[in-house]
Amino acid sequence: MNIRPIELFLNAEPEEERFMNDPRNRQYTNGEITVFWIPSKCIHATTCFRELIEVFNPGRRPWINMEGAPGRKIAEVVNKCPTQAIIWKYNKDLSESERLAQREVTREEENPQTLTEPEEEKAKPQQERIKPSNIRIMKDGPIVVEGKFKILGKDGDELKPSIMTSFCRCGNSKNMPYCDGTHRKIGFTDDTL
Amino acid sequence: MTELIAKLDLQMTRFKIIAGGPLEITGFFRIADSTGRIIAREEPVFLCRCGESKNKPYCDSSHKRNGFSE
Repeated sequence: MNIRPIELFLNAEPEEERFMNDPRNRQYTNGEITVFWIPSKCIHATTCFRELIEVFNPGRRPWINMEGAPGRKIAEVVNKCPTQAIIWKYNKDLSESERLAQREVTREEENPQTLTEPEEEKAKPQQERIKPSNIRIMKDGPIVVEGKFKILGKDGDELKPSIMTSFCRCGNSKNMPYCDGTHRKIGFTDDTL
Repeated sequence: MTELIAKLDLQMTRFKIIAGGPLEITGFFRIADSTGRIIAREEPVFLCRCGESKNKPYCDSSHKRNGFSE
């Protein structure tokens, strides 16, 4: 397996401790890798279950089935989570040589990137850097937003900035104006899309 | 420089939560449906937040009839 986890838990004991301190957090393992689920970070972008419903199925309990696909496939989809509400790591019983091999891969991949990326950024004219915000209307679900944007709340105040968020469309979220997954519980549908 | 910043600020997409009503989007944006097809861009739009519009994802003022509040 030459895929590697997003570097949150690799060497970060405090992160792992923080994870353990929130009783809503869950972890799932198949012996090879462990997937960590942090519901407070989830914006219901639906990336995980659109990619791999065999493993990530919000209609089932437990909602993550680690036997549904090979570890490698699960890891790939977990890395696509836009908010890192799901993250993963190799289980601790990896042999020392395998760990070293992983670190080597990490170094090789990182060095060329840090050298080339800033140069390319500078070379681009100022205007090309402005990209439109991407807004997606999820089927029977929320409005998912990515990019640079401002949110003005119902009282005219500016809400906390972020680079990705999702707005409720079913009218029943307990965390307005954001999505909290309620659309699924109440069976919200939109037949126009 | 300040002109450029003002221009960037104008182009930044704004999401305005209208109390008891829709979501107003203005600025530099693209809206895609769940299949990835672009259905709107740049022109300001009002998207339904109450869940009962007959013209989803757009607002059709249903929130006024059903007394949507949050």
